[in-house]
Formats: sequence, C-alpha cells, structure tokens
Amino acid sequence: MPGFDFSNHTRNAALHARGVPLPKATSTGTTIVGCIFEGGVVIAADTRATSGPIVADKNCEKLHYIAPQIWCAGAGTAADTEFTTSLISSQLELHSLSTGRKPRVVTCMTMLKQHLFRYQGHIGAYLVVAGVDPTGVGLFTVHAHGSTDKLPYVTMGSGSLAAMSVFETQWKAKMTEEEAVTLASNAIQAGIFNDLGSGSNVDVAIITKDKTTLKRGFVKPNQRSKKQKSYVFKRGTTAVLNEKIITREDISKYVTVHELEGEAAAGEKMDIDA
Amino acid sequence: MAAMFSQNPLMNGPNYSFNQAPVTAAGNKEHAFNPYTDNGGSTLAISGSDFAILAGDTRSTSGYNINTRYSPKVFKIGGTTSTQDDATLVLSVVGFAADGEALKERLDAIVKMYRYQHGKPMSVKACAQRLSTILYGKRFFPYYVHAILGGLDEEGRGAIYSYDPVGSYEREQCRAAGAAASLIMPFLDNQVNFKNQYIPGSGVGHELQEREKIPLPRNEVEDLVKDAFDSAVERHIEVGDGLQMLIITKDGIEEKYLPLKKD
Amino acid sequence: MEFGTTGMLNEDGIHVDMERLKKGEVNLGTSIMAINFKDGVILGADSRTTTGAYIANRVTDKLTQVHDTIWCCRSGSAADTQAVADIVQYQLGMYGIMNGRQPTTQTAAAMFQELCYENKDRLSAGLIIAGWDERHGGQVYSIPLGGSLHKQPYAIGGSGSTYIYGYCDANWKEGMDEEEAVNFVKGALQEAIKWDGSSGGVIRMVVLTKKGANRHLYLPDTNYAVRHE
Repeated sequence: MPGFDFSNHTRNAALHARGVPLPKATSTGTTIVGCIFEGGVVIAADTRATSGPIVADKNCEKLHYIAPQIWCAGAGTAADTEFTTSLISSQLELHSLSTGRKPRVVTCMTMLKQHLFRYQGHIGAYLVVAGVDPTGVGLFTVHAHGSTDKLPYVTMGSGSLAAMSVFETQWKAKMTEEEAVTLASNAIQAGIFNDLGSGSNVDVAIITKDKTTLKRGFVKPNQRSKKQKSYVFKRGTTAVLNEKIITREDISKYVTVHELEGEAAAGEKMDIDA
Repeated sequence: MAAMFSQNPLMNGPNYSFNQAPVTAAGNKEHAFNPYTDNGGSTLAISGSDFAILAGDTRSTSGYNINTRYSPKVFKIGGTTSTQDDATLVLSVVGFAADGEALKERLDAIVKMYRYQHGKPMSVKACAQRLSTILYGKRFFPYYVHAILGGLDEEGRGAIYSYDPVGSYEREQCRAAGAAASLIMPFLDNQVNFKNQYIPGSGVGHELQEREKIPLPRNEVEDLVKDAFDSAVERHIEVGDGLQMLIITKDGIEEKYLPLKKD
Repeated sequence: MEFGTTGMLNEDGIHVDMERLKKGEVNLGTSIMAINFKDGVILGADSRTTTGAYIANRVTDKLTQVHDTIWCCRSGSAADTQAVADIVQYQLGMYGIMNGRQPTTQTAAAMFQELCYENKDRLSAGLIIAGWDERHGGQVYSIPLGGSLHKQPYAIGGSGSTYIYGYCDANWKEGMDEEEAVNFVKGALQEAIKWDGSSGGVIRMVVLTKKGANRHLYLPDTNYAVRHE
C-alpha cells in the first residue's frame, strides 16, 4: 500500500478553523442492490452522481470490476469507491496469480473490510460485493467503517430504504435469474423515483458460474424530452474582442506536432443532448 | 427520536429542520428548534407586451425525500370566489412552503378586503407595494421565501415584481427564483433579453451591434419556460414532477399543467 | 495523546463520552448473553443491527466462532467487534498450531482483553466470551467497554441487558440441565427484545458442550416457541 499524502493536513485544518469551507466531494447519492438467485447473483445500481443538490453526472458507472466473476456496486464518496475497488482488484489479481487459484468473494470482502477499518470511516466507501467462486455464490455489504453483512438480498446508499421496501415485500427464496434481475431492477427504480439522491438509468451485472453479463442501461425510464425551441446561434453571434492565430509552424517550436489521419483525426464525439 | 433517518452517509440524521441545528463557532451544537425548512423547487416569471407568465414546478422536498409530487407554488390572488376565477393577480412563492402558504393567504385576504372597501380590484403596482410592506413587517422573523408577483399594469402590459425575503423589490422583465434559479436565470438573460448576443458582422470589437430587444410572443415564452424547466430538472435534484403555468392576459388567467421527469 | 472534543468531565474526573460511536457507524444495539449450565455453556443473542433508526440487518449473527469450541457474543460497533473477533480467531488458530493443543477459553478471553484494554480509546466493543475446553469445561467471561475481564457464572450485555437484570437474578439457578438453560436464555432475551427498541428479530443460540457446538434458531413468527433450522 503506497498510502496517502497528508502534507496539506495541518494547513487545511488551520484554514478550516478560520471558516474556509472544505472542498465538496462528488457523492454517488445512490441506490445500489444485490440479490442471490438459483445459480448466481445479480447486482444493480442507478446512474446519478451528485454534488450537493446538483446532478454532476447523469449516466455514471457505479458497478465496478474486481475480478471476472466478482463485481462491486459502490455508494458514498465517488472517488473512494473508485479507488478502493481498483486497489483491491489489483491486490486480488496478484494474490490469484501467486496462489494459482481463482479469487474468492470472501477474500475480496475481507481485504475491503480490513482496508476500510484501518481508515476508521474516513474512506467513505459503502459497497455491495457479489460474485461466484469455486465455493459458490457470495453476496456481502461492506460499510465505510469496516463492518460487513452476509445476506440473500441487500441494499445500500441513500435510496436503500426505498429499494429495501421492494425486497421486503416481493423477495422469495430460490428465484430464477429473470425473476431476480427484474426484482433488483424494480428495487433500483424505487430508489430512482423516490430518492432525490438517485436517478436516471438502471445498470445491472449478472454473475453466474459460467459468465458475467454487464447490462449498462438495462432500463432507461428517464429519457429527456425533445426541446420545444432550437438554440442554434448564427456564427458570429458571440463578440470577439481580439483574435490571435497560432500556426502549426509557431507551435512546433515548442512541441512536436504529429498529423493524425483517419478515425483518430476525428477525435471522440462529445456526448451532448440532441 | 422520530424514524426519519437518512441512509445517506453524507447527511445522516433526521431529515427535518432539527438536523440543521446551528453550530456555534466553537463547534458546539445549539439545541434550539429551527423553525425553517427548505422545500426546494423553482419558480420563473416572464412578462410580455400584453401578458405575464408565472410558472413553478410542483415538487415539494425535504432532504432527499419527496413530500409530494403536486404542491403548487403559483397562486391566483384576490378573486371573489373560492375558485379565484375573476382574479387578476398571481403570486409565486418558493423556499419554505409553510411560510409561502401563510404569505399567500395573507396577501389574498388583504387584496380581497381592498376590493370590498374600494369597489375595484387592486392594481399590480399597489399590490406590489403592499406585499413589500407585509414582508418587511416580519423583518426579524422573515417569511423564508422568494416571492414573485405578476399581473397587468395600468397600460395593459405584463408586469413582474420580484422580492427578497424581507421585502426589497423591483419590477423586472423576467426572474427565476428558488433552487434552480442560478441554472435558469442565465438562460433567461440570454433568451429573453438577448444578453451576449450580437448581430453577426455588424462591427469589430466594441463596435459590434447588440441584438435588438423585441418583446417575445406568448407561444415562444411558453416554449422557453418549458425548456428552462426541462433543463433544470436534468441538473437539479429538487426540481421535477410537474410544471404549473399561470398566464395572465386581459381575458383572465389561464392555467396550464405539463408533466416533468419524476426521478 | 489527543483528547476528544465531545463528552464531559465526570465528577470523579473521568472523561465520559457518550458520542463515541461515529456518525453513521453501524451499531449492534443488541441484547446478548452467555450462561453456564450442567454440561457446558449457552450463548444467546438477538439479531438486530441498526444505523440510526434504520435496521441495516434484521437477521444478524452476533454469535461468532473464534475457535472449535470457543465463541463470542458481540455488542457495540459492528466494525470494531468484527475486527477484534477476526484478529483473535487468527491468533487462536496460530496458538493451536504452534502449541499442538487447543487453546482454553481463558486464553481466548485474555487475548480479547488485551485488544480491548490496549485500544480502549479507539474501540466501542462489549464482548462476552464463552467456551468449552477439556481442562475447565464450560466457562463464561465478560469484557465490558473499558477492557476489564470478569469470569462469571452468567453474563448479559448490550443495550437490552439493562431490562433483564431482574429477570436473570430471579430465575438464575446453578447447574441447570440443557432444556432449562435454553428456556432461561430464551426467556431473558424475549424480555430484552420486548423492552429494548434497539434489539429485535430472531433469537440465535449456540450450545457448547463436550460434543461440540449446536446452533438454535427461534423466530418471532412463532413467538420464539419453535426451534428452526
């Protein structure tokens, strides 16, 4: 473990004491769930990320890869869920390579809880860990302080109460894959519509002995309606106060310029509303 | 303690006003009752040459919870019947819903009394001044609302007056208030008052001609309002569910309701 | 050493801090107990875990095995007690291998005490350790918040225990048979669950004798009358 850099801590504590507010972290205000079925496990998540009352990302990914047959759904501080899962993913792959065995869900859960316990809740990662390993199907929740629970169906995040109400009324033992996926999706939708911290789409990951299927945008119940007006501006509408053109010859004095061709030259398309 | 705890790690604790108990500089919690709650939502008003539109979403929130998906924020004021069919004024309130309701009730009663005592309906200008007085009357225990008053002025032109919580007010072309005000207002500046829009090729640098300001027709304003709210819903979690519009013309007040996204 | 800013100084000069449990931390608001009986020991617990007023888990297993016939009941912070139990489980496993004989309950209790006492400023863990070994038979140890260790004929703990001191005192008998003992534990936990809002769900028990560990489960659906599983 490389560890964190605390060199700004004293300065920040002094600033905070003088009334400077702490920076706002992106929170995945979130609904995440997990549910076991006959022969596998399904986890699901909404796709809204918030910063206070503002939607920071309308279609973010809260389902994290750990190992081919182990996936994690994350709630809490976005950066913490992202880094914690990728750190454990790396360690688990090295562990798997050194032992020559497939990684296990309990191993992953134990590594996560020990990492989070060490940081006494300061790493705000709330996770649902799910997977299939040689010992069978596994489903756990891991809280930021390092406590874990093992249950047949679980929910976490701000929408967990809405989602749990769906499980507590409709869950039954020994469900088929289809039944479990529908139930998990309905639980997420309960969060999307009744919890302001959750919204947009439903992502689903289905893990069985043979394969893992990630269904991004499994349900999209919140598509934007068409705009009434067109907001295209005529070229030249914006005032140009001054203009300076830097030619390729100019810039090549400072950096090396490569000509791109074909698809690479076009660049990645921006994701914008129609 | 009441059973209203949030599962959200960032805002654990009960989701009502007790949670916002003020903290002193020393970091000690003051255990006083906090009488205010923010119920979210947004309102918007635009005036035209012979009409005024006041609009608001119909969601009411507290914390991460939705209290109801239909709680109006725009009200007809000073009609003679319970349906307010003959009203000529509209008030919109956003902020603390209970104060908004109280303010609306009080202004409505005052405008009704005016009609009975003077035998004529109150003008927007007079009502605007009276509303300011009401708000300032509670200078040291304010109505926690951002109010907007709309109607037609003596010349029949659309009139919009907007207020701060303690009664400072101003007549404006357009105004957005509430949770998503900072998202909607710049859009309005650009699309209603054509701010930052210039006529292409009309000059160089500071010589550039601004786009001519023309009052927008009613249908176009309605489209702007719908687009403004659709966009606010996309990026603000406290705005959504429904859009209520009251359009004031010389023929009376027309009401329109459009659905908004519910996530 | 750093001191917390919450809490208050008691009249005897001891720093008392009731807000030790961090915000949003998962709490085992719990009723737990362990008793000695004729053939060994019985551990019992409710199954409720809470975060604030929300029940995060209604079928929690607060009875944790740390060796073949040594178990513990956990109360306080879920994270802290799980971490402590995991460490002791590892240490006892090593002890068994290194010494070629099974650890005694006393040894296990001493390991728990070491962790709880040395880290008393960082932990909120109330534990009851119970086990059976060839040398001493059944034994019950209690480790409350400060990290002290008490060998007792029976021990009760957690927020729900305050309601059943009278019940236990009135009904406790030395050397009960298994059926009597199970009914004593069940009766006590039923009362604790009834009166304590932070306790609830099912009643779990582990009966530890010469023959090993035996699990019991009683559901509220049948008013805890029928044994399941």
